[in-house]
Amino acid sequence: MMDWAKASLDKVEQTRAQRSGQSAPAISDDDAQNLIKEYHPDYVGSERKIHIGPNADSDAFPMELADLLESDSPVPKDFQPNADIETDVLIIGGGGAGVTAALGLADSGLQVHLATKLRLGDANTVMAEGGIQAALGVDDSTRRHFADSYVGGHGKNDTGLLRHLCEEGPAGIRWLTHLGTLFDQNDDGSFRFRKGGGTSTPRVLACRDYTGLEIMRVLKSAVMSSATHVLEHHAVVELTDDGKDRVTGAVLWNTQTGQLITVSARAVILATGGSGQLRLQGYPTSNHLGATGDGLILAYRQGCSLVFPGSHQYHPSGSSFPEALVGQLVTESIRSAGAQILNVNGERFIDEMTFRDVVAAGIIREVMEGRGVETPTGRRGVWLDTPLIEQTKGEGTLAHQFPGLIHRFKRYGIDPATQPLLIYPTLHYQNGGIRIDAECRTERTGLWAAGEVTGGIHGTNRLMGNSLLDIIVFGRRVSESVRHNCPERGAVTLTRLSQYRDALSGLPHKPEATAPQLYPPVSGMKFELKGMPTPEVGADASPDDVKSYEPPDPFASR
Amino acid sequence: MNQNSEAAGPPTVEITVAGKSIQAREGETIIHALWQAGLGYEIQTGCVGGVCGACTVTLRFKDGRRGGTDLACLRPVEEGMEVFPFPVDALAGPPPISDPDEDKLRATFPTVDRCTKCDNCTIACPMDIPVMDSVLRMQKGQLEAVAEDFTTCIHCGLCRAVCEDKVLPHTMGIWVRRSLGLSVDHPALDQTQETTMSDKEELEWEHLLNCDDEERLLRAKAFRKEGTIA
Repeated sequence: MMDWAKASLDKVEQTRAQRSGQSAPAISDDDAQNLIKEYHPDYVGSERKIHIGPNADSDAFPMELADLLESDSPVPKDFQPNADIETDVLIIGGGGAGVTAALGLADSGLQVHLATKLRLGDANTVMAEGGIQAALGVDDSTRRHFADSYVGGHGKNDTGLLRHLCEEGPAGIRWLTHLGTLFDQNDDGSFRFRKGGGTSTPRVLACRDYTGLEIMRVLKSAVMSSATHVLEHHAVVELTDDGKDRVTGAVLWNTQTGQLITVSARAVILATGGSGQLRLQGYPTSNHLGATGDGLILAYRQGCSLVFPGSHQYHPSGSSFPEALVGQLVTESIRSAGAQILNVNGERFIDEMTFRDVVAAGIIREVMEGRGVETPTGRRGVWLDTPLIEQTKGEGTLAHQFPGLIHRFKRYGIDPATQPLLIYPTLHYQNGGIRIDAECRTERTGLWAAGEVTGGIHGTNRLMGNSLLDIIVFGRRVSESVRHNCPERGAVTLTRLSQYRDALSGLPHKPEATAPQLYPPVSGMKFELKGMPTPEVGADASPDDVKSYEPPDPFASR
Repeated sequence: MNQNSEAAGPPTVEITVAGKSIQAREGETIIHALWQAGLGYEIQTGCVGGVCGACTVTLRFKDGRRGGTDLACLRPVEEGMEVFPFPVDALAGPPPISDPDEDKLRATFPTVDRCTKCDNCTIACPMDIPVMDSVLRMQKGQLEAVAEDFTTCIHCGLCRAVCEDKVLPHTMGIWVRRSLGLSVDHPALDQTQETTMSDKEELEWEHLLNCDDEERLLRAKAFRKEGTIA
């Protein structure tokens, strides 16, 4: 299967015995900082300032995000918002943060609608593999969790938010177990903790390498039997305001009928997640189809500022071969279990268990300096020596602890138990985002935010297992805040959008695309109105508007 | 997926998706082929990583090989492959019950005994879960084993959709897992409900919070080594 790399793989085999049990290459704090500054994609100058909105002419934004923030809305200029749905709380986003918020509001007496662009649960949460942190171990404490996360975030973390994350971690786990979440246990029934990159003590709870799947399917199952009104296939394309500075609802686009509907809500919770599908600098991504940063654009138009908008996480181990799996995650816990990272010569070059940004920068340097491995399709990467785990921890370890990894590669004739994997950093997480306070309030009344769409908690680099914790802790916090501070209903207008459009018209150049982008350009999917007058928008609609050909059912006998 | 020039590209194959014929590059998945052809909306898509279960399809091959079901985001294209969208709606199952056993399961899911062992569910499962065997384990009340079987279940719903007897395999699977999960005692979590903070805790927070950012970073680095104030 990987004959093209035989020479290099032979070296990996030859050096394995000697590498086994060897300690990782040490790196000093200063060297790590320099490595990041020189090689991490956040620092290579692929950024620019923007000239409109709360962050105008101050922070640097990735080019792709800057263009979207300076783009027009897809909502037609003559669209009049009239409330089709009136509700108390509108949650936007069907991933872990949105669903946790919905569950938190389930017995509040408030009517809750949850709108999601894809289906309920089709989100980055379900894709999370490695685990969720919480200070529950014997040598552990919430302060130690704080210290690890703060150092990992380069001291840029919002200390108030981070303290909440760490202090409410154990209660978050308790909440999840009460819903029926199963975490891996030791033989004596106690929680089994793994180490993550940059955790000073084992603190990561997991369900094999399907932790996000376990959490999301439990949350989804719970919310489906609650009174929450779920609007699947409804993408948010604009927030509405009361004509002044309060958010009062949203305009949604039904992705199946192509029509716009307006929701009037007393409170709006943005839980739209991340932006990996912007594929910054051409990097592949581990994110789901819908991770296009929609919430950032919408909140920004309402006047909410963004913190660390230029900070993204490139997960060190994205798959680089086979082509069909490029960008997909190979969990960090595989390194925690002992897999080493090797260059073309079978040599280690970075401490596999240090912080993610350092490991990613180390891999990029190795490849840029010519010690990487090139695939037949021209992609490059380094080896992740997974067979080493079978050797040190016993045969069958991978199959038992990492069934997802085995399952995914098996289709392509690759068995990670005998075959090292080729990896390269993949765009994984948006560290920055919308500024929130400890109650998850944004800078606009009526608008709350939780989860990956927010910024500040993780500083400029997040630790493994802190994002699953983030969505649980802050999903719960946002529901508490909304429950006790739900404003009265306000008028539904697009005043802010008009003002933003006026400001846009003063910019020297105008991007042609509209934002939020909703889908990655590579997918060829895009916003298109149907069934109503469409001035300009969607003029180049394809003639494929025919109904899908109905298939014969291969199990037709039922 | 860069838009490479077609000149020296990989070999292509022809596949049919929902009756539309498209050229696809060897080695790519059905979803990526659809994107390339501008037909991404033909198949409902979510994570593109094999864990959300949105992109369920049925397959047929011209040479008579067994087609069956799969996930379009994981399935590589093959010459002559016919692909049909086969979306399966999620189903709200009954709420979990603490200390589940055979009787409680049977009371909640009277359909469990309807299974006629046709094995469609196992064949349909894209995660290689032994679904039918697990249904038989449910009938016998072997719930720990059932929970293990469904560890990798993505709830795509295919086993339910192809079940001739309406047995709801994966719906029972998550019911068993959640019911067992909420019945487990976790001594480590019992202490987490304490509301008062010890002096040591307060001191440590003071130490980490009451200083400027630069000093805090130094203190945090030292704190990590010892797990307390050095």
